[in-house]
Amino acid sequence: MKNTLTGILTDIFVFLVGLSSLLAPFILPQSRNSEIQSSAFPIVVSLIIILCLAIVFIETQSSVLDNKMIAFLGVLISINAGLRFLENAIPGPAGFSPTFFLIILVGYFFGSRIGFLMGAMTMFVSGLITGGIGPWLPGQMITAGWVGQTASIASFISKKLHFKEKFGEVLVLTFFSAFWGMLYGLIMNLWFWPFLAGGAGSSWSQDASLLENLGKYGAYYLATSVIWDITRSIGNILIMLTMARPFLKVFQRFYLRFSFHFEGSES
Amino acid sequence: MKNAYIWVLWLVNAIIFVLSTRNPIYLFLVLISLFILGNRKTKPQHRKAWFILNLRFLISMILISSLVNGLFTHLGQTKLFHFPSNWLLIGGDITLESLIYGAVNGLIIGSLYLSFNIFNLALSVKQLSRLIPRAFHPIGMTATLALTFFPSIQQRAREIKEAQMIRGNPMKKISDWLPILLPLIVTSLEDAIILSESMTSRGFHAVSNRNQENFSIISLVIGTFLIFSGWILNLFDYPQVISIFLYVVGGSLIIFILLKKGCEFRVTHYHRVSWQKKDIIFCAIFLIAIITQIIFAALYENNFSFTPYPQLSMPSLNIGGFLLSVVPLIPILASNHD
Repeated sequence: MKNTLTGILTDIFVFLVGLSSLLAPFILPQSRNSEIQSSAFPIVVSLIIILCLAIVFIETQSSVLDNKMIAFLGVLISINAGLRFLENAIPGPAGFSPTFFLIILVGYFFGSRIGFLMGAMTMFVSGLITGGIGPWLPGQMITAGWVGQTASIASFISKKLHFKEKFGEVLVLTFFSAFWGMLYGLIMNLWFWPFLAGGAGSSWSQDASLLENLGKYGAYYLATSVIWDITRSIGNILIMLTMARPFLKVFQRFYLRFSFHFEGSES
Repeated sequence: MKNAYIWVLWLVNAIIFVLSTRNPIYLFLVLISLFILGNRKTKPQHRKAWFILNLRFLISMILISSLVNGLFTHLGQTKLFHFPSNWLLIGGDITLESLIYGAVNGLIIGSLYLSFNIFNLALSVKQLSRLIPRAFHPIGMTATLALTFFPSIQQRAREIKEAQMIRGNPMKKISDWLPILLPLIVTSLEDAIILSESMTSRGFHAVSNRNQENFSIISLVIGTFLIFSGWILNLFDYPQVISIFLYVVGGSLIIFILLKKGCEFRVTHYHRVSWQKKDIIFCAIFLIAIITQIIFAALYENNFSFTPYPQLSMPSLNIGGFLLSVVPLIPILASNHD
């Protein structure tokens, strides 16, 4: 009970601090030191997100990561990192990415913690493989982690609506993946948008109100990112409709096979 | 220069300088240094493509950043043209100063991107994965497994794809990929079961004292909250000494907990990282450069900084700025020996 409470409180803390760091341009519009906001913003936000990830990792590795789960996740992350290479092979427009469906399905089937690890570690490992280590990586890791973590909400909804193992389950997952297809891009722009459009007295510093900042971000988002995010959402919908059922059946089968218990193990 | 920790110091030094200066001349020098170094680090047959790709990225960042800042920020005295004030968000004067400010932001983003790009070029995947702190041993183990399995899973995917194509699968629609992905995931998860059994039989089994974990987690939460609070107070112009105090206390707590946690895991070193004489020299140079920048920032505020507002002027220059601009080029001295 105490450990569950620690886990939940940790998740809430990480979510609040991580999100408020990313949303700082909106929720701190009256801050006075605009020079600090603009120049160091991406790095400070990345640093705070790295610390948030460290907290989740320490919590998760002590609660769910035994040797079975390490092997299981290692393999799935490897497959998902490989799907980034398949992006070129699968016919699809810019923004289309097949990596999210496995993150969502793992979070949906195995729960929020495993889902978070799947998302965050997929981004990390594929970053290592593709040379994608950069200030954007912590943001990608935590956002993809949230994708996997919140997939447990879709599982909860399916259970409540008695959709499990029916087509309704696929529809819930499809809606969820379409929603995250848009939200992922919306969040990922935040770490550098204030930097790109920032500066003394400009869009999100002392003179601008919350609504003005949201309007400016909206204009920036429409001009630069919305097409990418729509194609990502459509891609997620197509992949989920096509592949969700067979993959869930595979997970069901391996969930039972992974339920073995080692004699003498304390877990 | 093959020591990963020295490359981390190189990266930290480059990031601090790039973010602390808004002087376009220093930024140009940094970019030239980075392009020369990156060119050396790239394989000869890929040099031209690497250069063009990164130059294209840099130019596009400068253009996008200028455009965004120019349209949304209406500060500055040199008016180029005017949009009607009733135009939502972009209505007002378009000034030379706001365009220049945006271009400088583009230079900074380009420099950051290039610094990380070179960092990726300089270090192998193995070196990068070894940078994961020992406190995250199970997480590092998961990442290492994923990296180890990656080539065999790629190979298996190719084999299944070829088999499917022989059977007449056209591989044109998303649904055509299902017969590849399903066998791939089934066979890979079979491997995972075998792996987990062999890990257990070889004695790899993470057992942790959950009460100790709770202490570590709570300490990390407190440390992160202190750093976050320091940043927020700094944004609102509270005395800087409070923020520095919170950074130091929070940072020390986090480092202490991670070191303590790291000691819980016994790690076998097959290849110890060796420190040669030249590594120590490079390490000293980058540390001196980092400390110098911190001291300069504390004693002489805005020493390397530049702002085009309210009216565009020539950026001021000094010898310290020139020297720090070429520090990122230093690893080129070692490249011949690597």
